[in-house]
Amino acid sequence: MTTTPAPSSIPALPDEAIAVRIRNLNYFFGQGELRKQVLFDINLDLPKGEIVIMTGPSGSGKTTLLTLIGALRTVPDGSLKVLGRDIVGMGRSQLVDVRRNIGFIFQAHNLFDSLSAAQNVEMAVELAPNWREKRRQAVAILTQLGLSDRVDYKPKALSGGQKQRVAIARALVNQPPLILADEPTAALDKKSGRDVVTLMQQLAKSEGRTILMVTHDNRILDVADRIVTMVDGRLDSDENLGHFVDTHDPKTLDRRMFIL
Amino acid sequence: MMRLRTPLAWFNLTYERRRLVTALAGVAFAVLLMFMFRGFENALFDSQVQLLKLLNGEVVMVNRLKYSMFIPEQFARRRLYQAQAFAGVEDAYAFYITNANWKNPETQAVRPLRVLAFNPDDPVLPLPEILAHRDQLKLPWTVMIDERSRPEVGPTTAGLETELAETRVRLVGAYALGTDFAAGDGNVVMSDQNFLRLFSSLGPDEDSRDLNTVDIGLLRLSDDANPVAVVDALRQALPQDISIYTKDEFVAVELTYWRENTAIGFVFTLLTTMSFAVGVILVYQILYTDVSDHWKEYATLKAMGYTNFYLLKVVLQQALILGVLGFVPGYFISLVLYRLTANATGLLIQMTLERGLNLLIATVIMCLISGAIAVRKVQTTDPAEVFGS
Ligand SMILES: Nc1ncnc2c1ncn2[C@@H]1O[C@H](COP(=O)(O)OP(=O)(O)OP(=O)(O)O)[C@@H](O)[C@H]1O
Ligand SMILES: [Mg+2]
Repeated sequence: MTTTPAPSSIPALPDEAIAVRIRNLNYFFGQGELRKQVLFDINLDLPKGEIVIMTGPSGSGKTTLLTLIGALRTVPDGSLKVLGRDIVGMGRSQLVDVRRNIGFIFQAHNLFDSLSAAQNVEMAVELAPNWREKRRQAVAILTQLGLSDRVDYKPKALSGGQKQRVAIARALVNQPPLILADEPTAALDKKSGRDVVTLMQQLAKSEGRTILMVTHDNRILDVADRIVTMVDGRLDSDENLGHFVDTHDPKTLDRRMFIL
Repeated sequence: MMRLRTPLAWFNLTYERRRLVTALAGVAFAVLLMFMFRGFENALFDSQVQLLKLLNGEVVMVNRLKYSMFIPEQFARRRLYQAQAFAGVEDAYAFYITNANWKNPETQAVRPLRVLAFNPDDPVLPLPEILAHRDQLKLPWTVMIDERSRPEVGPTTAGLETELAETRVRLVGAYALGTDFAAGDGNVVMSDQNFLRLFSSLGPDEDSRDLNTVDIGLLRLSDDANPVAVVDALRQALPQDISIYTKDEFVAVELTYWRENTAIGFVFTLLTTMSFAVGVILVYQILYTDVSDHWKEYATLKAMGYTNFYLLKVVLQQALILGVLGFVPGYFISLVLYRLTANATGLLIQMTLERGLNLLIATVIMCLISGAIAVRKVQTTDPAEVFGS
């Protein structure tokens, strides 16, 4: 297939090395008079195995872009390839299929209070074709996230950080090649936020996952291979970490975080 | 090792115990209402035919004009003798019915009762207590009373003396039958001879009775006789002043009369339907609240890749669990109330396996309807909404 030439800032990579490829994506909310464009001509490639952080002011369209990549909305035009499949024009049931290969982490943990940590994770395992070993898989990933002694606890008995780690376990247990996270640390204190992101980074690096994470949290920017900034529905800058730090006011950033 | 899918419906439903108990109480209440209304309706119909069902005979003869049990029309006894001569007819019994006032032996208050009379030597109304008291019934001025008559009838102890049709009679025993619309406050049983003693010479404004006119004729057939064929033969041969039915037909005619000429069926069907609707609304409320409370979690499931069909199953399973679990207490409380109602009214209010099963099915349908309405809430949840808010 032919794709529009990538803007110069995006390195030209072959399709197999790309987890997400976005070309000329526009998105509108509302109908008729109220129709409002929130994304303008987005071009973005997420290479496999990279951790990309997206920042930008509130209302700039970050979450909207994330939900589009996550096949949570129907995409009317442009080109949006996720894990090799073009989701533009896909119907709902095909989108569900694409979603099963994506791990979602939300700001809120959204765990079922009635299910234990392991059972919440097992709900995700049951989506995979082979789920007979679900308990073993759930316990394994929870152990990896440091919750081996909490597998049979209900969410009510877990701390905020522990709940978010259960939610991350749920997102990661099926080893999805793509992970989308929207402010995963917003509800956590500094320490647990840091822990959670470090865990995600380790998992991504050891198993070659691609992560796109929206965050306002400057303290965690250092885990990123790349940082993209969204302003008013346009991708404003797309740069590697060093460049990002150089060009942004150092006072707003806690430099020591990046030296860790 | 667990090899089943996580029973999410069950966990969600049982997580909050208090809410579950309230929900089950709601379902049980709706079940109870349906059982009571259906029970009353069935009782009213069942009661009308319980006496007929007990009468001993495969073929029934009545006056052509007697289209319901409470029409006081008789036919000539010789028709019975004529019928007895037919092939397959083994025996013919005459059954006499009239109404008379009964004086409560305790309070002296007067209540209308129905009098049933026949020859005690024949097994016309073969209730065990009646069969056991045949000899006493043959004594003059003796009667037996239904212990399931309305309480106003008074004590039913054997040996008591009281007045029936302003004549002194002696109670020699009691049997259990029950009342119906045509029975007044109960049934009193006596021999045909005592019937003659009491009702053959009434005052000028009342119709005196004798044994030559019969209210119901009963034919006992030989074991190899086909009731339908005998009825056909009798209809051909006997004059048109009588109607001849098989027992089942006779019962059906009586039921049809009550169904078509009273509002019982309509009223109780309406009440039962309303209870059903109350149940639907109650269960819908419960399920809707559950779905709204877990909106984010359900939307997350959708984002993860669960289909609308899966969520539909979860909600319908919850509905089903509520229906079945709520049915059980509803059923048992109804059994108790049936017993209390039967004792208080003498109506034949009874639970049968078929009626229980029918209402279980109705309850399940009730909950599934609620589930189907409530599930639309989950189906319209947009998985994109769980992001960012
Ligand atoms: N469902 C919707 N219907 C209409 N407009 C919407 C909807 N969701 C978001 N918007 C609008 O789209 C724009 C982008 O919203 P979006 O949630 O993507 O921003 P964001 O960058 O994630 O902001 P934040 O950092 O506050 O989470 C905003 O102007 C918002 O008001
Ligand atoms: Mg957002």
